[in-house]
Amino acid sequence: MRTPAHLLRQFNGPCTGHDFRQYVRLPFGSGGGGTCGSTVRRMLITLDGLTKRFGATVAVDGLDLEVRPGRVTGFLGPNGAGKSTTLRMILGLDRPTSGRALLDGRPYSAYEFPLRKVGALLEAKGVHPGRTGRSHLRAMARSNAIPAVRVDEVLAQAGLTGVAAKRAGTWSLGMGQRLGIAGALLGDPPVLILDEPVNGLDPDGVRWIRGLMRELAGQGRTVLVSSHLLSEMQVTADHLIVIGNGRLLADAPLDRILAGHASLEDAYYALTEGSALR
Amino acid sequence: MTVLRAAIGAEWIKLWTTRTVWWSLAAALVLMAAGAAQYALYAENGDLDATVLRDGRVPAGNVAVLALSFAQLAFVALAMLAMTSEYSTGTMRATLTWVPSRVKLLLAKSAVVAAVTFVAGAVAGIVGGLIAKPLLGDLGEAGGIPPTALRIGAYLALLGVFAVGLGAALRGPVVTLVVLLMLIVVLPPLLQVPDVAVLNGIADALPGVAGNHFLLGDSDPYAPGLGLLIVAVWAVGGFVLGCRELDRRDA
Ligand SMILES: Nc1ncnc2c1ncn2[C@@H]1O[C@H](COP(=O)(O)OP(=O)(O)OP(=O)(O)O)[C@@H](O)[C@H]1O
Ligand SMILES: [Mg+2]
Repeated sequence: MRTPAHLLRQFNGPCTGHDFRQYVRLPFGSGGGGTCGSTVRRMLITLDGLTKRFGATVAVDGLDLEVRPGRVTGFLGPNGAGKSTTLRMILGLDRPTSGRALLDGRPYSAYEFPLRKVGALLEAKGVHPGRTGRSHLRAMARSNAIPAVRVDEVLAQAGLTGVAAKRAGTWSLGMGQRLGIAGALLGDPPVLILDEPVNGLDPDGVRWIRGLMRELAGQGRTVLVSSHLLSEMQVTADHLIVIGNGRLLADAPLDRILAGHASLEDAYYALTEGSALR
Repeated sequence: MTVLRAAIGAEWIKLWTTRTVWWSLAAALVLMAAGAAQYALYAENGDLDATVLRDGRVPAGNVAVLALSFAQLAFVALAMLAMTSEYSTGTMRATLTWVPSRVKLLLAKSAVVAAVTFVAGAVAGIVGGLIAKPLLGDLGEAGGIPPTALRIGAYLALLGVFAVGLGAALRGPVVTLVVLLMLIVVLPPLLQVPDVAVLNGIADALPGVAGNHFLLGDSDPYAPGLGLLIVAVWAVGGFVLGCRELDRRDA
C-alpha cells in the first residue's frame, strides 16, 4: 500500500501552493483520480424545517437552508444558539424533533461508509485517552474500509507523525484538535463539518486550518465550520449562516453581511442583538 | 455485510488498543488460578458440596467451574467496559459517526467481545483444570477438562453479549456493573437461602445460576442444555434492549 500512495503523491503533487503539509489525494474514493479540485464529488447539505427540543428548551427552531459545495460556510451564533445541536443532527447523532437534515437528499445514516462522504470534528474530542493517535485512526479507517495508508498521510498532514505513537490522554488540547481534524480528512470526504476547529490551536495551527479550509473548499468540497472567532471567520468564510436561539438570523455571502459594517464583529452584534445568552 | 465486517474490524482494533483488555484478562487468569487451587484443596479435604462430585470423584473441570464464580467477574468487566467506556471517555458520538447503524455497531461489539471471552474463557477453563488436577490427588479426574473448558467459553461468550447490551442500555460503567453483580452474584444466594419454591424458581432463571447448571452438567431442576438456553435468552434480551436504547436516545 505504501509505495503506490507515495507515487500518487508525487504524481498528483500539491493541490495548491499551500506552503506546508500538502493535501494528498486519495487512491480511492470520490470521483476517481485526476488532479485536485475538478474531481471531488460535490455534495449539498439541506436542512428542512430542522427542529430540536430538549424538554422545554427549543435548541433548534425550524431551520431551512442549504450549505453548498465549493465554499467555506461559517456557522455563527451566541453560546447556546444551537450550532452544535444542528451539526449533531446532520451527523445522525441527535434525532430531530421534526424536520430533516440531508446530505445529497439522504440522511447521514443512509450512507454505508459515511466517513468517505462526511468528515466531522465534533465538540468533544472523541478519542479514548488510553489509545494512541495512530491506533485511533487505524480503527477509524478500518470501520469505513479506508486504506490504512491514509492513516500516515493524515497524521503527516496534521503534523502529528512524531506523537502518533503516544497515548491520546497525554496530548495537549491542540494536538487532540489536530487529531480530530486528521480524522475528518481520513476518508477524503466531499463534506467537512467542523465544530470550532481552531479551539486550542496555536497560531501555526490556526493558520494551517485556515489554509486547509480554503483549500478544501477550492477543491469543490462543502465546508461547514462553526466558530466564535469572528476575525478568523472574516478571512476564511465565503458565506455565513448566523443563528440565535435556534432560529435563522442570516444566510448570506460574507460581503453582503459585512456591507455597511466596519467588521464582521460589528455585523454580528447587529444581527444577534437580543439573542445572546444572558 | 461489508459494513458489518468493517465495523467488526474496527471494534477488534479498538478492543486491543487500550489496556483494559489486558488487565481484565490477566485478572481473569489470576482469579481462575487462585480459585481453582483453593477449591481443589477444599475438595481434597472433603469440604466440597456434592454437586461437583461424579461417582465419588471430582472432575478437575468442575473445580474450574467453581473458580469461575470469581473469574467470570473479570470477563464481565471486560465485556461491559468495551461498551460503557465509549460513554465514560466521550467517544460514543465519534463511534456512531463511523458506524451510524446502531444494530451493526452493537453486533460488531458483541461479536468481538464474544470471540474474546469465548477463547479466553476456554483457556481459563483449561488452566483452572490443570491447576486443580494435581491438587486433588487421588480424588481428581482429568478427563472432562477440554469439554468443560469449551462450555465455559460458550457461557462467557453469551454473558459477554449480555453485558455489552446492558452497557449500551444503561451507558454508565458503574450502574452497569452494579446491575450485573446483582444478577450474577448478589441475588442468587438471597433468593435461594429461604428455600421457597417461587424464589428458587426465579434464581434458577438468573444467568449465573443457569450458567452454573449448564457448566456442571446438572440435570436438576432442568437439563444442562436448558441452562445454556436461558443464558442465551439473557444475551438476546440484553442485545435487543441495547439496540432499542441506542436507537431511541440521542448519542
Ligand atoms: N443533550 C442536551 N440536553 C439538553 N439540552 C441540551 C442538550 N444539548 C444542547 N442543549 C441545549 O440546547 C441549546 C443549544 O446548545 P448547542 O450546544 O447546540 O449550542 P451552541 O450554539 O453549539 O453553543 P456554543 O457556542 O456554546 O457551543 C442550549 O440551550 C443547550 O443548553
Ligand atoms: Mg457548540
